[in-house]
Amino acid sequence: MKTTTLFLAICKAVAIGVICAIALFTPPNAQAKPLSYVGGTMAMQENDETGHTLSLDYTFDPHFALGLYSKYEINGNEFYMAGPQLNTLLKRWNLPDGQGNIFSMTGGGAARQGNHSQPAAWLSFLADYETRRWYFSYEPRVVYAGDIEKSFWQRAYAGFAPYLANYDELNTWLLVKVDHHPAKNDHFVVTPVIRFFYKTIWLEAGYSSNNHVMVNWTVQF
Amino acid sequence: MRHIVITLAILAGLSGSAFAETIKTTVNGMVCAFCATGIEKTFRKQPEVESVHVDLPKKLVTVKTKPGKTLPDSKIKEIVTYSGYTMGRIVREK
Repeated sequence: MKTTTLFLAICKAVAIGVICAIALFTPPNAQAKPLSYVGGTMAMQENDETGHTLSLDYTFDPHFALGLYSKYEINGNEFYMAGPQLNTLLKRWNLPDGQGNIFSMTGGGAARQGNHSQPAAWLSFLADYETRRWYFSYEPRVVYAGDIEKSFWQRAYAGFAPYLANYDELNTWLLVKVDHHPAKNDHFVVTPVIRFFYKTIWLEAGYSSNNHVMVNWTVQF
Repeated sequence: MRHIVITLAILAGLSGSAFAETIKTTVNGMVCAFCATGIEKTFRKQPEVESVHVDLPKKLVTVKTKPGKTLPDSKIKEIVTYSGYTMGRIVREK
């Protein structure tokens, strides 16, 4: 009964997320992708209302990157989680004026809360579509860490570039990020985001509807 | 006078084979600077390559080879595909 209820809640949350993404962000760039170029290493750090994330990934194949993921969760249930993570490019559409991707991020390791530790596993998918002007993404995520955490979470980004910058110029993006955490106090959190990137350095900042500062950065080397 | 003409002709022939080549290729899917870095870095690693220039608005990558060197179409396609993109048309200029 409990499993059925959880399954129905997840289905409902996914449906709400998809509907919101479609309704709010009717399509025609730019969450950092979980893969870089072959031989490239990517360091990524995120600080938002859900916690602090640090990851380091090495792309060893056009379709795969392997790395380490760690997160200190502060959203209601405080705990620390870390372990290796495999990022996979499941499908890419290279179009003359755009690109679409579906990635998966699969990891496992340990979660720790106080003096209590549990094995942990997490899985998320990232679907994105970008042109030089527009960017859309949707990411559902499931985390299981025994009696420390069992959660489903989803995130959508939509935005545009106010000007079209060339390769060696500063690129600026204005976006809206919507997070949906069914199990948390603030189910929906909306964050206006400004994003800059210059070649391999990427920085974004925002202020969420539940009054949290968001600062994320990514560096490829 | 005849010797001078022959010498100049030989020199011209030799230098002709030592010209650098400029190769331009359009790349489908190359829509952001963050993504184009992989293509630029992979081309730069090739021993035949002198310089690489990325033009995002035109989705164009221009590769200049070292004098006397070239990159076959198959190699260019391999690099673009390996970087995660799809190659378009190739134009070569001596």
